[in-house]
Amino acid sequence: MSARTAKRAFVVTFVMMLGTACTSMGVEPWERDVLAKDRMKLVTDSVEAGLDDHIYFSKEASSGGRGFGGGGCGCN
Amino acid sequence: MSKKTTGNIAKGLATATCTLLGTAAAAPVSAEEQPEWEFDTALLFYGEDAGRVQDLSLNIFARRLFADERILSVGLAVDSLTGATPSGAVPQNEVQTFTRPSGESVYSVGSGELPLDDTFLDTRYALTAGWQQPLGRDYKASAGVSFSTEYDYTHIGTNFGLSRDFNKRNTTVSLGLALARDELDPVGGAPVPLSAMADVGMISGRDSSTSKDVADLLLGVTQVINERLLVQFNYSLSTASGYLNDPYKILSIVDPISGEAVGRTPAPGLEGPLHEYRFESRPDKRTKHSLFGQGKYWLGGKVLDLSYRFMTDDWGIDSHTLDTKLNLPMGETSYLEPHVRLYTQSEADFYRVSLLDGEAMPLFASADYRLGSFNAVTAGLKYGWQTGSGHDVAVRLEYYRQDGDIPSDQLTGNQDSASLYPGLNAVIFNISYGFGK
Repeated sequence: MSARTAKRAFVVTFVMMLGTACTSMGVEPWERDVLAKDRMKLVTDSVEAGLDDHIYFSKEASSGGRGFGGGGCGCN
Repeated sequence: MSKKTTGNIAKGLATATCTLLGTAAAAPVSAEEQPEWEFDTALLFYGEDAGRVQDLSLNIFARRLFADERILSVGLAVDSLTGATPSGAVPQNEVQTFTRPSGESVYSVGSGELPLDDTFLDTRYALTAGWQQPLGRDYKASAGVSFSTEYDYTHIGTNFGLSRDFNKRNTTVSLGLALARDELDPVGGAPVPLSAMADVGMISGRDSSTSKDVADLLLGVTQVINERLLVQFNYSLSTASGYLNDPYKILSIVDPISGEAVGRTPAPGLEGPLHEYRFESRPDKRTKHSLFGQGKYWLGGKVLDLSYRFMTDDWGIDSHTLDTKLNLPMGETSYLEPHVRLYTQSEADFYRVSLLDGEAMPLFASADYRLGSFNAVTAGLKYGWQTGSGHDVAVRLEYYRQDGDIPSDQLTGNQDSASLYPGLNAVIFNISYGFGK
């Protein structure tokens, strides 16, 4: 297995392990009052996040990570 | 369990799922309070200093909520781009003249000035549409399309997402796929990579249009840790193939001893460059891997958001991004949110500040500062409030700065890193207005 494939396999395994190892963590459904607040959303303003992603994608060599928005452009 | 609690669970999981896939989260539909339409609008000004790029952007995003947590979303963005961007040529202690990409005229920059190219100033229109719905009891699925156009660039894309919940919906695993085809119609056609910049009227042998294909795969896990902490981890893979060059970017050819640009004389009767320049050349494939982690932590009313992204690709670029925000409520209906983002990247394997006269031409070379080695900082403040009618308003002011450095083994003769790397200073100003929520 090449180093690149090994690195990739490790990452995928790590992410899947996170999913299965987390069975003891979490809250009961009635304990979600804070988590349900708008301010606790992972992305509180998706339009703003999209605008920022577009700026950084145009000015840097990296993109995404969080998800993918729509639309490429001729600026990179 | 009460209807309100069910609503809150569904809202929590919809939030986690939607945000993982990059769409806006929507509250579940309940009989009395939920409006059918929600709108988010934003006006953004992005402005670099010293005559460089300025962008004014208007964005409208609308969401229509249907029964059973089905959501239609539509977005429209209009960007007006003006100003200029570094062409990749290095400043010299004499006037430099360049043939415009159209091949129809020239432009000059003064002694000591950073050569800037304003060809890409334009208006860009972008449209997105998406659909999201539950699949069975535990799955959520989404699909969407995207389209954008400017005078020399067209993009079409499609995206799909699937997520499943586990552990009383404390864990969500998501899979996303996005495919895009971008077409470029550069002014003057796509230059032959590493060909010389020619005199006015002497452009030949170019393709009028080229294209590239991009595929993105995302695998993610969102996990509730406790009542106050939510985390997310994503792995993404992105591959691009096709025409990946910037058709307007060039490199200077410099003397290997003095580091000064090699001169040239235009053909008799023609205008043209007074020094030797070559168009850049990038590989026709690029594969990027990203690892992203984010946490949202409730600190007794304040919310701390911390995220980190690591990116590595087969062009030799590694980057680290650290982003943090602190949401501070002020009274019942407003908040203040400071924001800091730190970014660093290493240069591409084929990044060159300039080419050396007499050396064998490398296969790939680019002086595009965005492929160089630099650190960047963003610092800003956002203030938001809710109006009497329940609409959300926010204003945001940020400062973005890039400071680069050129590896010393790339400097030749009199070349000096401080004056060669363009750097960047920009202001970001954003007003948002949301209603129907």
